[in-house]
Amino acid sequence: MIEIRGHARGGQGMVTAFDILAKIFSKLGDYQVQSFPAFGVERTGAPIQAFLRIAKGEILNRSNVYHPHLVVVFDETLIDLVPVFDGLRKGGTVLLNTEKSINHFKKNADSIFTVPATKISIEKGLGSKSLPIVNASMIGAIMRLIDGDMEIAQKVISENVPAKPKANSEASVLAFENVVGFGESELKTKEFLDAHSAEKIDYNIEELFRKQKDKTEYKNPIWSQPMSLNKTGNWRVLTPEYDKKTAPCSSNCPAGTDVREFIKLAGEGKFHEAVEIIYEHNPFPAVCGRVCPHFCEQACNRSDFDESVNIGGIERFLGDKFSPEKPIAKPITKLQKIAVIGGGPAGLTAALRLRENGYNVTVFEALEKAGGMMRTGIPSFRLPNNALDSEIKRIEDAGVEILLNNKTKISEIEKDFDAIIVSVGSHIGSKMNIENEKFVVDGIKFLYDFKIKNDRNNVNKDDKVAIIGGGNTAIDVARTSLRLGAIPTIYYRRTENEMPAIAHEVEEALAEGIKIEFLTTPTGLQKNDDLLNLKMIKMELGEPDESGRRKPIVVDGSDYQLQVNHVIAAIGQKSDMFVFDNQQIKAKQGKIEFSSSKPIFSAGDMAWGGTVTEAIGSGNKVAAEVHAFLQKIPYQQETSVPNVVVPVDLNFTYYLKTPRIHNQITHKTDFTENFDEVVQGLSDEQILAEGSRCLHCGDCFSCGNCFNYCPDAAIHVDDNGRLRIDYDYCKGCGICVQECPCSAMTFEMKEAENE
Amino acid sequence: MNNTETSTKKKYPRHTEKVMKGNFAAAEAAKICKAGFIPAYPITPQTTIVEELAEKVGSGEMDAAYVNMDSEHSVFAAAMGSALAGERVFTATSGQGLFYAHEVLHAIAHFRLPMVVCNVGRPSIPWNIWSDQSDSLSQRDTGWIQFYGESSQEVLDTIIQSYILSEKLEIPVFVVLDAFYQSHTSENVWIPDQDLVNEFLPPKQLKGTEINPDKPIAVGGLVQPEHYGKFNYDFWIDINRVENLTNQIGEDFYQKFGRKYQAVEAININKDTKIILVTISSITTTAKGVIQHHPEVGILKIRLFHPFPKNSILEALKDVANDTLLVAIERNFMGDKVGAMMQELREAFYGERYFKMIDVFTGQGGKDVPPITIEKIIYKAKNNPEDVIWIDME
Repeated sequence: MIEIRGHARGGQGMVTAFDILAKIFSKLGDYQVQSFPAFGVERTGAPIQAFLRIAKGEILNRSNVYHPHLVVVFDETLIDLVPVFDGLRKGGTVLLNTEKSINHFKKNADSIFTVPATKISIEKGLGSKSLPIVNASMIGAIMRLIDGDMEIAQKVISENVPAKPKANSEASVLAFENVVGFGESELKTKEFLDAHSAEKIDYNIEELFRKQKDKTEYKNPIWSQPMSLNKTGNWRVLTPEYDKKTAPCSSNCPAGTDVREFIKLAGEGKFHEAVEIIYEHNPFPAVCGRVCPHFCEQACNRSDFDESVNIGGIERFLGDKFSPEKPIAKPITKLQKIAVIGGGPAGLTAALRLRENGYNVTVFEALEKAGGMMRTGIPSFRLPNNALDSEIKRIEDAGVEILLNNKTKISEIEKDFDAIIVSVGSHIGSKMNIENEKFVVDGIKFLYDFKIKNDRNNVNKDDKVAIIGGGNTAIDVARTSLRLGAIPTIYYRRTENEMPAIAHEVEEALAEGIKIEFLTTPTGLQKNDDLLNLKMIKMELGEPDESGRRKPIVVDGSDYQLQVNHVIAAIGQKSDMFVFDNQQIKAKQGKIEFSSSKPIFSAGDMAWGGTVTEAIGSGNKVAAEVHAFLQKIPYQQETSVPNVVVPVDLNFTYYLKTPRIHNQITHKTDFTENFDEVVQGLSDEQILAEGSRCLHCGDCFSCGNCFNYCPDAAIHVDDNGRLRIDYDYCKGCGICVQECPCSAMTFEMKEAENE
Repeated sequence: MNNTETSTKKKYPRHTEKVMKGNFAAAEAAKICKAGFIPAYPITPQTTIVEELAEKVGSGEMDAAYVNMDSEHSVFAAAMGSALAGERVFTATSGQGLFYAHEVLHAIAHFRLPMVVCNVGRPSIPWNIWSDQSDSLSQRDTGWIQFYGESSQEVLDTIIQSYILSEKLEIPVFVVLDAFYQSHTSENVWIPDQDLVNEFLPPKQLKGTEINPDKPIAVGGLVQPEHYGKFNYDFWIDINRVENLTNQIGEDFYQKFGRKYQAVEAININKDTKIILVTISSITTTAKGVIQHHPEVGILKIRLFHPFPKNSILEALKDVANDTLLVAIERNFMGDKVGAMMQELREAFYGERYFKMIDVFTGQGGKDVPPITIEKIIYKAKNNPEDVIWIDME
């Protein structure tokens, strides 16, 4: 008698293969055959066995095969899961479906053969890539070992496979030809059966009973938990796991804020905890809540469902009404002293981080108040001074020394410090290079003059003001002029689509009655008594330039003239090179080349970016780099963020459409001399409601879908209130992953164990 | 040890040899017996029987009315109605399906309706789908005749014989298969040619008492106490005829088909036998292999379990010594002190012979019974056995 045992996963076709093999053997000679599977509540992927006996006479055994002459493994991943080689007879043969070299398996048996059945089955289009049906290939390979007749095998395969008879038959031949092994198989059916009848296995029964008694006392199972005896975790091919993935709001925040976490906490009413989370990366929540273009909202997955979450509104609320525990200046633990030149968002953030890290830090600020562009360039109707003051005060409370009215340069201070960070921003307006530009007012200076010195630059009621540019400065200049009683018009050489200004700022400006003329640019200027004659020319859009925006091209002969009281240019800014002794240094993020006795770093607007939040992120980064440099530890900038949750990962079915709660905007017909903040804050109730609109992308919020849907009750809530998977029973069906609303789970081919 | 093995395969004229699963052999038997009505409801491990029949009826290979029912209770109710109308009925069930049909089982038997039904045995609770005879044995007292098959061949042959028996006595018959070890086991089966079956099993004879829409009658009305016993008396007369008729049909079948079946089968039972394993179903085959190495051990295979074939057993054991030990092997648990086999054996020997008997529970809920387990049972039997042994509790 020949006894064969097969190991496979449910779905690979082994039970059919063994039925077909029995039919083939019955045709190879005058043989009795018997084949049957050992499975039960079988499911795709579960390890199963099948048995086959071939004899010349009656087969007097209907039990499973424990001492096979041939072990056939349909899936090599089972080798580590199931004792596939158990009971193999002395001199027995093993056939593995693998593409690996036989040398990997030599230790397991004297006679091992392999066949790349998965590869062959995929080539022949049998089954899917994740679960190829390898049965026909395995039959072909077995035929090779038992000296079978491939003509008979092909015929029986074609007659008995449920589908694709030709492909299956061809796969069996390919497999027959691709069996690799060492030595010859000794299982050649006829010769083997002529030489071997059913062999008696000699058992030592007394020994068996003695061993049985030695075992620990028999433990009664619990009748209500019969499944507890049947750990079905090894059926799993793919494994679900809870996985906190990156949310797009967080990954898109230039400051690095864990946006998802603070929104979640705010939605739960944990306002203090929420502001602590922001403060880990951003010391200016009240500012950013107001003036940031909200990179987080731009990436919010909720935009694909209804509207993005009003993250800015929540951040502003938290920044205005809650502050982290009053900072206590930490002891100075490091020897090195650090200077920061420029007290804007980048410089102050870097100073705060380094001070928190135990360094002595001094900030040199040229003006009478710190804050940089937040202080000078953003009008108070967008950013009231008190919001900024309290956030800077917290930085000072944390031990950062700010020296005001202290415009300095590296060469003056380098002797006193071990490292210098330059973050002087970009406060000098660019020139348009037109005739009589001396009559043009610089936009950034105009904003500074009014906010800091209350100097109106002679802009009076009903004056016509032409503002050149399309960025935030142009918008802020126009809105400031409006409040001075003038009639501002913005002239921009491209169209609204290309405007670099924050979209909602543009909307608010238009709503306030400010005109914007597109596709036009000044070419010259003449002073005519009190008026200015501004020569303009029309533009059209050509091919995209290096910024990706379409390049404006002059329309010949479209010249025209404007008569205005003031021309204010807001076409871009550059940095003041005083800090570098007026050497033209190209600043970049981090350590820069500058001849100094001390290491020089730069950050903020002068290095990259152009928004407050980017400057804050720049400050965080430069602080980390300076620390690494001083402590001589390797510093590596974070590269791309892996695995950000995108809308297609989410299951929107489980969310309700809920309108976004917008901040209220003051509408007036006349803003003259009204410098009150335009955008209003949200109430506590509104924060709770808006916070609860968060989809929790990639972060389990204990909705319980996985718990409810798990067909094996393999998900439970642990002592810490977390949903956990019991891998002893999880069969890897993947329903939990499919039904997770927020993509907080992964489903991969890997093993997992209970914690 | 003899290392050579000569082919002992028999060949049967007017048959075709095929390799098929037990469930497919059962479906094939229903076809060649020309069952005309098949009410069906799936349940593991029986499902492939009714699936295969659906295939046969759907493809036109078999001429029968096939009806998908909404439950096993409805299956048996439909079977009852169809049998009342005179149709030859076949269906199959298992475990919980059989329990659900319990009420109707009584009605079919005591309305004296002939039919053959396959049950693929599985237990109830704790929940399990594997081989166990607790389901069918618990239906012993519904009045149905019960046969237990050892192989796919025996299942097929028994279904043919059961239609003769059932229609002759007007008592329904269960033919029971072991789950998986038979139902899903592919092995060599000889399928008799249709004309051979036709010669043995004539079309169902109508008696004129069948229900008929043209002549409406009421069936199953209340029976008064003064007549009730007479119905049961008639049933008792016929149930007493089952054993002899089984042996007689078995003999006739042997003449026609060349394979011999009786109510019981005695293997290696003679005056020198010291131990007799009393078995049913597929465990018998494995035990046959093991006792080849134990000349003092015999096997008494019970093929007809209900009504229990007392006379055949006494006849089979007539030469054995009184100190022979009988070992009842139970792949069932009836919630009692001993298993179903032990109860029946005691009843059979009472007042006739006295044997020392032990009861062995094994193979519960599909636990494999390999040769080593049979060896352990024999070892226990030889060495101061307890009255009741649970053999594989490690």
